[in-house]
Amino acid sequence: MTRDRFLELAEAYGGAVARWPAAEREAAATLMAAEPEFVRQSLAAADRLDAVLGAWAPLSVPHGLREAVIAAAPVARPRRGLRAWLLGAGVGAGLAGACAAGLVFGVALSGTLSAPTDAPEAVSAAMAGYDDLSETAEGA
Amino acid sequence: MDSDPDEELLARVAQGDPAAVRALTARKLPRVLALAGRMLGEATEAEDVAQEAMIRAWRQAPIWTPGVARFDTWLHRVTLNLCYDRLRRRREIPTERPPEQIDLGPAPDRGLEAADVGRRVASAMQALPDRQREAVALCHFQDLTNIEAAAIMGVSVEALESLLSRGRRALRVALSDMMAP
Repeated sequence: MTRDRFLELAEAYGGAVARWPAAEREAAATLMAAEPEFVRQSLAAADRLDAVLGAWAPLSVPHGLREAVIAAAPVARPRRGLRAWLLGAGVGAGLAGACAAGLVFGVALSGTLSAPTDAPEAVSAAMAGYDDLSETAEGA
Repeated sequence: MDSDPDEELLARVAQGDPAAVRALTARKLPRVLALAGRMLGEATEAEDVAQEAMIRAWRQAPIWTPGVARFDTWLHRVTLNLCYDRLRRRREIPTERPPEQIDLGPAPDRGLEAADVGRRVASAMQALPDRQREAVALCHFQDLTNIEAAAIMGVSVEALESLLSRGRRALRVALSDMMAP
């Protein structure tokens, strides 16, 4: 690293070599070892400015601001619990069952009105209908 | 790009994890407020900007795409954009006594105290052209690397270095009475 480059870096980044571009620190360290007096004088002015700048403390975060920021953050949506799911499923099954029962009753009643109650065809048709509807209700 | 140290926390924020919200607030709000304070030189406006920047961060969390940019870089850029909006508004609606024109010099009958020096520095920073102030704020006060600061400002590293040099030179002139060897 040349002396000029060393001065440019001190001018731009200040007196703390740790803040200089990472790619140039090693070369700067070599120059510092080789020419300590030049380096000391070069960094002194930059150090003085750094020290003055350091007197400007950053704003501290007021409690109200922090809480307002936190209050504006996303909140987790409540997940649908197992109990709610079961309740929903139960209502569905209940409705399906009620429908099935109504249909069975309707089929049985129509059989009663259109054919003798002991007619085996009518009974088996009604049972078949009940079976089908039972499956529907279970699947609900 | 190295792995983003904020990514995991941001993903938890997106899911509404209150602990992650508090942790990210603790990590980012002081930096955002500090940057706004350096750029605007005025506490109330800086707090407004910091709050708005964090709200935008909360909105961004669910749609954040990992690996594209660092969250800290993005947040700095958002904060600076909000600061520039404020600065533009100040120029359009000049106040009777804008912050940069307040006489912040030390009282003649007493020596310089830290608060006096701080006020002088704040005043000198406000007198810098915007881009020089931005460069000094990012590299010196926010302690970002030249590569990070250049990326935030959308300039080359060489251009950043030039802005820094000019900014620090102007500060040295403005604060020369406090820098006696």
